[in-house]
Amino acid sequence: MASPSIPAYNSSPLENSSSQNASRESLKMEPLADVALLPGEERVIDKDLIYMCPFSGAVKGKVFITNYRLYFKGTDTDPTVTLDVPLGVISRVEKMGGASSRGENSYGLDITCKDMRNLRFALKQEGHSRRDIFEILFRFAFPLSHGLQLFAFQSQEKYEENGWNVYKPLEEYRRQGLPNEKWRVSFINERYELCDTYPTLLVVPFKASEEDLKRVATFRSRSRIPVLSWIHPENHAVITRCSQPLVGMSGKRNRDDERYLDLIREANGTPKLTIYDARPNVNAVANKATGGGYEGDDAYQNAELVFLDIHNIHVMRESLKKLKDIVYPNVEESHWLSSLESTHWLEHIKLVLSGAIQVADKVSSGNSVVVHCSDGWDRTAQLTSLAMLMLDSHYRTLRGFQVLLEKEWISFGHKFASRIGHGDKNHADQDRSPIFVQFIDCVWQMTKQFPTAFEFNERLLVAIVDHLYSCRFGTFLYNCESVRDSNEVRTKTVSLWSLINSDTSSYLNPFYTVESSRVLYPVASMRHLELWVTYYIRWNPRIRQQQQSPVEQRYKELLALRDQYLKKLEELQLSDSSPPPHLTNSSTPNAASPTQRVTHLQTPF
Amino acid sequence: MEFSEHIKTANVEDVILRQPFRPSIKGTLCVTGHHLLFSDREEDSSWQLLLLLRNIDAIEKRITGSSGTITIKCKDLCVLHLDIPGMEQCLNIASSIEALSSFENIPEMYPFFHRPQDLSLEDTWGLSSTEEDFTHMQELYDRWRLSLVNSDFSICPSYPSAVIVPRSVDDETLVKAARFRQGGRFPVLCYYHSKNGMVIMRSSQPMTGANRKRCREDELLLQAVIDGSELGYIVDTRSSQQAQQARMTGGGFESKSCYSHWKRLHRHLERGKVLQESLIKLVEACGDQSHSMDRWLSKLENSKWLSHVHCTLSTAGLVAECVERDGHSVLVHGSDGTDTTLLVTTLAQLIVDPQSRTLRGFLRLLEKEWIQAGHPFQQRCAHSAYSHARLKQESPVFLLLLDCVWQLSRQFPLALEFNEMLLLRLAQEAYASDFGTFLCNCEQERCALGVKEKTHCLFQFLLRPSEREQFLNPLYEHTDLAIWPCVQPQSLHLWSGFFLRWTEHAQNMEEARQEIWTIVNQYREKAGVEETSQALSKHCEPLSVVENLMEELTVL
Repeated sequence: MASPSIPAYNSSPLENSSSQNASRESLKMEPLADVALLPGEERVIDKDLIYMCPFSGAVKGKVFITNYRLYFKGTDTDPTVTLDVPLGVISRVEKMGGASSRGENSYGLDITCKDMRNLRFALKQEGHSRRDIFEILFRFAFPLSHGLQLFAFQSQEKYEENGWNVYKPLEEYRRQGLPNEKWRVSFINERYELCDTYPTLLVVPFKASEEDLKRVATFRSRSRIPVLSWIHPENHAVITRCSQPLVGMSGKRNRDDERYLDLIREANGTPKLTIYDARPNVNAVANKATGGGYEGDDAYQNAELVFLDIHNIHVMRESLKKLKDIVYPNVEESHWLSSLESTHWLEHIKLVLSGAIQVADKVSSGNSVVVHCSDGWDRTAQLTSLAMLMLDSHYRTLRGFQVLLEKEWISFGHKFASRIGHGDKNHADQDRSPIFVQFIDCVWQMTKQFPTAFEFNERLLVAIVDHLYSCRFGTFLYNCESVRDSNEVRTKTVSLWSLINSDTSSYLNPFYTVESSRVLYPVASMRHLELWVTYYIRWNPRIRQQQQSPVEQRYKELLALRDQYLKKLEELQLSDSSPPPHLTNSSTPNAASPTQRVTHLQTPF
Repeated sequence: MEFSEHIKTANVEDVILRQPFRPSIKGTLCVTGHHLLFSDREEDSSWQLLLLLRNIDAIEKRITGSSGTITIKCKDLCVLHLDIPGMEQCLNIASSIEALSSFENIPEMYPFFHRPQDLSLEDTWGLSSTEEDFTHMQELYDRWRLSLVNSDFSICPSYPSAVIVPRSVDDETLVKAARFRQGGRFPVLCYYHSKNGMVIMRSSQPMTGANRKRCREDELLLQAVIDGSELGYIVDTRSSQQAQQARMTGGGFESKSCYSHWKRLHRHLERGKVLQESLIKLVEACGDQSHSMDRWLSKLENSKWLSHVHCTLSTAGLVAECVERDGHSVLVHGSDGTDTTLLVTTLAQLIVDPQSRTLRGFLRLLEKEWIQAGHPFQQRCAHSAYSHARLKQESPVFLLLLDCVWQLSRQFPLALEFNEMLLLRLAQEAYASDFGTFLCNCEQERCALGVKEKTHCLFQFLLRPSEREQFLNPLYEHTDLAIWPCVQPQSLHLWSGFFLRWTEHAQNMEEARQEIWTIVNQYREKAGVEETSQALSKHCEPLSVVENLMEELTVL
């Protein structure tokens, strides 16, 4: 009987691995130490070196580099230290020490990752031993800087379900009851001619003509005109999103834009349209200097403007950097809370959440809103998607959440490529910023406060953030739909949702209860926000031990047992008259192994 | 003293009550000897507020014109406002509340008057006793015995009448050892770890004093505890500097030369005033209604409450580690042996002893380690965080215990049979109660006042079938393993269920708890259905395996 996926390598040193590989050549996938390579993944280089683990010290071992990942396995430690890092996670590779540096393990590589960790490897000083590995890492971690393809385009993965079918804009708008007599679907952007960072399909006020849209586009930064994101099923109040108006220093006005916003207000008879400008007031004013600005009182008489005080991408980047400083490699324990406070990370989370709460509250009380920041692809996406998550329980299901991300983030042009820097060596690029991670953090805060309201669990959120960087799937690649189209992402890469939806069981929340019409208002008070320890500090072995929720684990096991039992019962009933002998044999080991596991999983350390 | 002397105005009409999370209501306020009663006069809604005066920690009155407002701050941290028409009535009510709520005469407290119809004074008071426990612990008989040397409380006033000590030590030795320990609290057994026969003992500090006195009998007693094994540990809940200083006032510690088989470890735990002030700071920070909350985390840190939680849990972890992992017996003491000592021994038992994690087991643990072992509840819980009165002996040691237990329940959601509701209830009852359980400072006082004859027992009450259910953790599953708490600061959290209960209570968490109950019950029912279908095909042999699985399943 073959058991290809779980080789008993634990005790055998890695020198033997080649012979073991040889014996497995019949298998399609070539095992890499003890992980199976992905279809399309190819080995590039192996090397003996020392991993300078910040938690367990120097670990001798071997590193394997493929076109997708860096895999390290320690040789002589117990328990075995392994690392499995997709190259996409790497933001920077540096040489550490020189040929003449003294001190043990002072010569090697220092790798900075996008996911809150750093990796250091030490090599022998003789004979430029790091040259080849450095160059290979540099090339494969930053393929776009070297004229190579991202791994997502080389991957040959196949899944039962095609994740690219998760989001169909028309279907989603139809679910919301659109088009209706006040709102229509416009195809004006079919060739991305109106706005190259918007999707092809837009929902706009019924009364606005295509010509109106074009004129409004001239007055909005990057032509990102106000379009509908969500409509309330009962009161028909809407969330619309856009970019800042091009008011400039001279305080320009645009009648078409003013009239257009009034059409949005009029659509459900809201007396006053509320415009949420995500920025702090000062920043909005400062934007006038570069031609932007905000909607002035006299120009937009039927609208009230509210600033939400959320800071820009640079502030968020620095904040997360500070957070990393206090949690990696060692947690700043002596003044943990005040150190955490000085990063301001939770404060930013609070502002984003409370902004979204205001939006949701306005809409559920029957008033339409317009949300924008400067370009309308960072803070705006955070606010609209969080507000939609609070208002619409559909987005709190596993598939609904995927639709939400596909719609508000991916199709509306959050600049994933620029913010994450996929495959790009320029680690200091000022365009990079953890806006999307911050959003996922906000979602996590909501799942914490409403443990039964979300169909998905924390593991899904972590998987999303991991694959945000991994470049294994096409889902988060490129800045907007038009670029994605020209790169044929949907046909040449696999969607992350293919992976997720082909095996949903590990991403489900056992305590989910369906409540269709409930609006969730999380408490956005500092006292109720928590640091997402199981993500930001997960590399720390002390935290890792607690990561897996024993409750979920237990629940899953019992469900599996129940299914197993039901199946067996069926078999038994079928074969009632003459029980075939294999049944007795097969049932015992199957049943016994999970039961045994059960006794150990209680204590998560 | 008659209560009526203090009640000049018993009834006031048209009072407006303002309280957290409810609309303000108009009604009648009534002051009785033990309660503040408020009821609205609506026909169909018979809403009432019945507040034990004992629960009131501080009151503030503000007179404006002809009416006044009384702000009532309760020991369970709830804050109420009463708008009372008529200046005189307001002042009368305020002075009644002030006088009656600070009443210190125990036999006149409410538990002595609480007579609900469905409870009888004949009911058993208390869950168990040392004597009763000992009869069930036959594995102890070889090396341990029950001593009644303290049956009249003369050897140690704060100990119960019966204690468990090494068999080889006679009562005379105990009497002498008791004279060498502060308050007579000589080392006694509090936990026997049946896996390896190791024990946790507790006591107070030895009275070595400045000239390093010795006591042969005390040394013998401790020698008998480890009985030939290599080594025992003494976990002193003071820093070694503090232990040194204690010699100046007659106290001290076990020196290496006299107790050669015992290794002392010092872990500094705060107590007394420091803890009380920490609680006050924390409650202040939690109640801060100002909108700029940007300093919240600093304030939380400055209160030091979570670092007390950290120290307590890690010291308990240390004791548990000695017993369970290293296989050594441990003696725990600080100075008095009635506060931090009990914190550490209780939590250590929760960590290693699965029995104490059940609802009944936990309440019995509290009864044994806190009520019977003489934690001075009457002194420690006289006031909570709001009182302006000069602090005397107040200290939230028991509250700190409950907080630590809550941290355990958060880290091990399946391990404890009881839930947060129980902890909240206990926190409330310890400060003001209808029951006699938390009255007095020790068993001697309880006997003298007839507490067990004249009041009802809280623990028995909580275990009644009608009450029990609400305190159960739906996800509980017994485990024999120790539950080692994580004590890193990023793993410890503010107990928001208690500290933010009245200010920023997250309603949704309560709803979520209900939903989880429902889900669990649904699965139980489903499992029931399957059981019947299983019975149908029972003649199929392999089902015996499946049957075992079914038992597993009924857990969820």
